[in-house]
Amino acid sequence: MVKVVNMIYGNLKNGFLSSSLRIKHNRLESISRVFNHIPHKLYRIALYILLFSIAFVFLYPFLYVFITSLKTYRDINDFTVNWIPRSIKYQNYIFAIRILGYFKYITNSVLLTVIGTLGHLISCSFIGYGFARYKFPGKNILFFIVILSIIVPIQTLIVPLYMAFSNYGWVNTYLPILVPTFFGFGLRGGLFIFIFRQFYTGFPKELEDAAKIDGCGFLRTYWSIVLPVARSVFWVVIVLSMVWHWNDFYEPSIYINKMALTVLPARLQTLVNYVNNPQGDIFFGMLLEEGEDTINNAVLMAGTFLIIFPILMAFGFIQKKFMQGIERTGLVE
Amino acid sequence: MKKMQISMGKKKIIEAYIFMLPFIIGIVAFFAFPLFVSIKLSFGKVIDMSGFKIKWIGFDNYIRAFVTDVQFIPMFLRIVRESLLKLPLILVFSLMLAMFISNDIKFKAFFRIAFFLPFLLGTGYVMQQIIGQGINEQVLMQAKNIFIPEKILAYLGPNVDEAVNSFFGVIVTVLWSCGVQILLFLSSLQGISKSLYESAKVDGATQWEMFWKITLPMISPVMLLNIIYTLLDSFTDISNPILSYIQDYAFTRTDFAYAAAIGWIYFIFIMILILVIFMIMKNHLYSFDMKGETKNGKSR
Repeated sequence: MVKVVNMIYGNLKNGFLSSSLRIKHNRLESISRVFNHIPHKLYRIALYILLFSIAFVFLYPFLYVFITSLKTYRDINDFTVNWIPRSIKYQNYIFAIRILGYFKYITNSVLLTVIGTLGHLISCSFIGYGFARYKFPGKNILFFIVILSIIVPIQTLIVPLYMAFSNYGWVNTYLPILVPTFFGFGLRGGLFIFIFRQFYTGFPKELEDAAKIDGCGFLRTYWSIVLPVARSVFWVVIVLSMVWHWNDFYEPSIYINKMALTVLPARLQTLVNYVNNPQGDIFFGMLLEEGEDTINNAVLMAGTFLIIFPILMAFGFIQKKFMQGIERTGLVE
Repeated sequence: MKKMQISMGKKKIIEAYIFMLPFIIGIVAFFAFPLFVSIKLSFGKVIDMSGFKIKWIGFDNYIRAFVTDVQFIPMFLRIVRESLLKLPLILVFSLMLAMFISNDIKFKAFFRIAFFLPFLLGTGYVMQQIIGQGINEQVLMQAKNIFIPEKILAYLGPNVDEAVNSFFGVIVTVLWSCGVQILLFLSSLQGISKSLYESAKVDGATQWEMFWKITLPMISPVMLLNIIYTLLDSFTDISNPILSYIQDYAFTRTDFAYAAAIGWIYFIFIMILILVIFMIMKNHLYSFDMKGETKNGKSR
């Protein structure tokens, strides 16, 4: 069908046919257009349905946590209530804040995350630049160590590391977690060195050469020429390092056993214990519903939401720059 | 003139080492020594806790893990099976999703952010809470009905239903751990020049052929990176029983030597996996030298 139409259309364009057919030509062309586009349109619609259902799968945990955290005791046990709670109960959050000690421990988490991320930015961009721009004896060995430090799991090294840090007297401080980040190690530091190296390798040299000719020293070139242009990669590393530091539970659980230094994700365990076996004193001054004598799931979800909320906010602010950084080709070859 | 050049070269090397200095300090302080002690530990036994003296006992710890420890082998096999099952799934799904959103579609920004969001939950306690709520199963109940109507499943019988359910159950957690991989693939897909596809089209290649002959070879380095990253991610997953096992032996039973040995067995397994994958991919890795075209192209 389409072939025939195209043949006629071609004839028309070449002016073989009389003008009487020319009137029909418009109609024929529209028919051919319809035939060409139906499968394409269908494919598009199917694709959007698929993508939106996958996106739903990705967004569901956040929706669930938020909605459940606002449910009353009655709504949780009522199967007819699924998405929209009958009444909103913000007291769940007051409970959760109280049990988590939210405002007390959030400063720990923020401190750890900010300083750890800063350490990664300073050290890994510096080291990565050295790998990208210089040839020197031992470069291959050092780069092999970068790769090795990425693939050796922390669990393999944790025992000797713990010994070493307890010799330094660093146990029960944040130093074992924070100090390595300033030397290209720490939470997946090797990966960040690798990312920076990839970026600087694909980065044109002319700017630096021009700066050198103008009499810039190499450190000054790095500081005032290279860093400003590498901003897009900085955002990528900030997001990754921030999320990993915020959610890290393994290292803090090993190096820190002082209550005052606990980080938020570890407090979630306390909240779970409370839900399973509530203590009387937290109910002090709280009004309970009828039939409610325990902390329930809604409070647990409120606590979970409180813990992911800061990182969601932070990501919301920098997501645009982060996505632009990912878009930049040269981040991965 | 020549003297000048030599001093320039020397200066360069000094500069390079200044850039490397923090890393070298880091290696000495936080990597080389623990690595060495950890290897020594796994082949030894701590005889004096206070002075931390290690006696060499050879492969005893490793033999113990594989022969006398009844818990370790099943646990280890379970982890091996899980990672080998999840790895291809994660790669296929993240590449598929990355290809969907690298094309021109509407709501591109929304999809990108949506696919990355579960990454913010991490793999720790928070994720454990969410899985513990059975959210992944609830999602699949809702998602399954979109793809496969309930009536068809009922018609096919309970066995099929079971299989579909377990498949979807794995899929949801797999999808949630795809965030970084999707972004890496996306970033490399953007880097493929459009002219390659256009010239292939002129030569009469179908979409399917283009994918195998252009897309896949071009993104092969990122594929390798993603494989390594995916395996690394399994290290930090709280549901990984090996981790709690190591921690239990090291910090509650204070059997450091055995804990170190288990850690090394696990690491060696991952290492072998990466090496095997690297060997397989080595012949297919697309290298970015300008000397000619890819393997598929004809040299003129």
